[in-house]
Amino acid sequence: MMAQILELKEVSKRLGNKDVVRDVNLSVSSSEIFGFLGPNGAGKTTTIRMIVGLIKPTSGQINICGYSIKKDFKKAMSNVGCIIESPDMYKYFTGMENLQHFAAMDKRITKERIDEVVEMVGLSHRINDKVSTYSLGMRQRLGIAQAIMGRPKLLILDEPTNGLDPAGIAEFRHLIRRLAYEEGMGVFISSHILSELQLICDTVAIVSKGRVVKSVKVKEIVEDMIVEWFLDKPERAIEILKERWNIDGEQSRKNSVKACIGTVRVEDINRTFFNEGLVISYCESHGNSLEELFLKLTEGDEIV
Amino acid sequence: MKLYNLVKNEVFKMIGKKRLYITLGIAFVIIVAFAYGQYHSLDRTKENLSKRIGIEATSDWRQVLQQQLIDIKRRMDSPYMDDDRRANLRVRAEQMQFYLDEDINPLEVSAVTFSTKFIEQSLLFLLPLLMIILSADIVSGELSGGTIKLLLVRGVSRWKILLSKYITIILLEALVMFFVLIFSIGVSGIFFGYGGWTTPVVTGFKVVAGKLVTSDIVNVPGWKYLMMTYGLAYFVAVVVGSVSFMISTLVRSTAASIGIVLSTLIGGTLLTNFLEDWKLPRYFFTANLRLTDYISGSLNPIEGMDMTFSLTVLSVWIIISIFVSFAYFTRRDILV
Repeated sequence: MMAQILELKEVSKRLGNKDVVRDVNLSVSSSEIFGFLGPNGAGKTTTIRMIVGLIKPTSGQINICGYSIKKDFKKAMSNVGCIIESPDMYKYFTGMENLQHFAAMDKRITKERIDEVVEMVGLSHRINDKVSTYSLGMRQRLGIAQAIMGRPKLLILDEPTNGLDPAGIAEFRHLIRRLAYEEGMGVFISSHILSELQLICDTVAIVSKGRVVKSVKVKEIVEDMIVEWFLDKPERAIEILKERWNIDGEQSRKNSVKACIGTVRVEDINRTFFNEGLVISYCESHGNSLEELFLKLTEGDEIV
Repeated sequence: MKLYNLVKNEVFKMIGKKRLYITLGIAFVIIVAFAYGQYHSLDRTKENLSKRIGIEATSDWRQVLQQQLIDIKRRMDSPYMDDDRRANLRVRAEQMQFYLDEDINPLEVSAVTFSTKFIEQSLLFLLPLLMIILSADIVSGELSGGTIKLLLVRGVSRWKILLSKYITIILLEALVMFFVLIFSIGVSGIFFGYGGWTTPVVTGFKVVAGKLVTSDIVNVPGWKYLMMTYGLAYFVAVVVGSVSFMISTLVRSTAASIGIVLSTLIGGTLLTNFLEDWKLPRYFFTANLRLTDYISGSLNPIEGMDMTFSLTVLSVWIIISIFVSFAYFTRRDILV
């Protein structure tokens, strides 16, 4: 049993007369990379702000390493490193001065540790330049450096790959995996891009209109295929799917059936259809249900 | 230990964003201009005096003073003079008479008298302005820059971070006051010489019903009087700093913060015109900033307002500002 690093219980936030976040439950354990996926305005950043105590939940409980953010703020927060929205740093300071500024607030951080994280995020050659001269990608790196400096048990990254180039993103993924699997950090990443989270996360939760609508293990998504058959007797095909594998198919067009087949192999289904005398003109796969769900949410979503 | 680190951080930020240098720079420029102006007007006064009464400069200050006394008395006899102005002139006349009797030259200008005068004159606008420039963005700057998000998620409680910012303002205000003193002595000394440290200054004037009461009057050496003035000025600085600290905590943008404090200052000063007839404005902090008037005796006295009253009102303003800042800042949602 892995330790629960972050736990949200029935967390809600009302701003004005809008429920920005409603009854969110989730947990992140050590060495887990948790993705928080949602379209813009779904309540991701509000949730993150509540986790780090920048805003107070209207109701519900948030615990970090077992400490309530409300009652034990200092103990809870000394286990957290984070970037929220954009990596805003003091522009009139150099990168190094920024890190020293934040390091002074945590006595566990030594000078050697600062040099080490600068090396880790690949900023060594520019660390003594003023932040006002940095590109967004470099500020993002500096943001990550300040977040991991204190060896937190929970690392919270809000849209961390904004502004990073492809090489930077690959490097970033590598770094995050290393932090999670070698140093045992629980990592909480938010993003509005599914493909980005799929590549790195163990678990992904989808938020829409302030609610967590689905939470899945990425391993399962990969097997979670949607297949569409174009055949002559769709009604019969739906019956067979239900009888043999308990799969709910639906007629998507006049001559086609769509179904999420989970771990069942397409070859087996095709063979059965054939044996039952159905004529299949062709069949295609539509990626996975998560992507479909997410697209549906993003397309038809008015912003809360 | 940790609070010390936090304060150190804040001081570095003040230096980093050049706030401290800007404040000191403005103070320096104004002091130079003021000293130069004073030097010229002194020249002109000497010229005028020698033309009018045929004496050479301030060498015989008694004669000058007596001439001024005659002037004042003549003006007091004018039928167009209203009672308030007349009472005011009478107080001045009595003051001059006192200087003559005690053999104190009030016209002598030195580095010490200049520095005293300068800070007395700046109490109402210049000094508050400097303090506003210094402190108006200490919290709002973190909000508009977004850095507050990184500052408040560190395992340090909010009140401690706010406290470190308040302490920083109090410390830097003392530093600015110190430099203002050094600048004004340094610069004015070039024009008027570095003397005046032991010249007696008369203080303890009291006005009761338009009459000067001299029973409590004491002579203090110039340096001591200078220190008293700067002490009071520092208190004024702390008051203005606290109020602008509060505004800085309440609003999000630095421009709004500076704007609000400035208009409060100017608007509040305008309100003091009604002090005679309307009781309410005297509880406003701007009506009580001219603390040094109580010791120099140059106040247009208002019934019921004295040093104790003003110090009490200002202290209450400090306490309210601190209370409001902390109560709001420790509860608010950070949405930037």
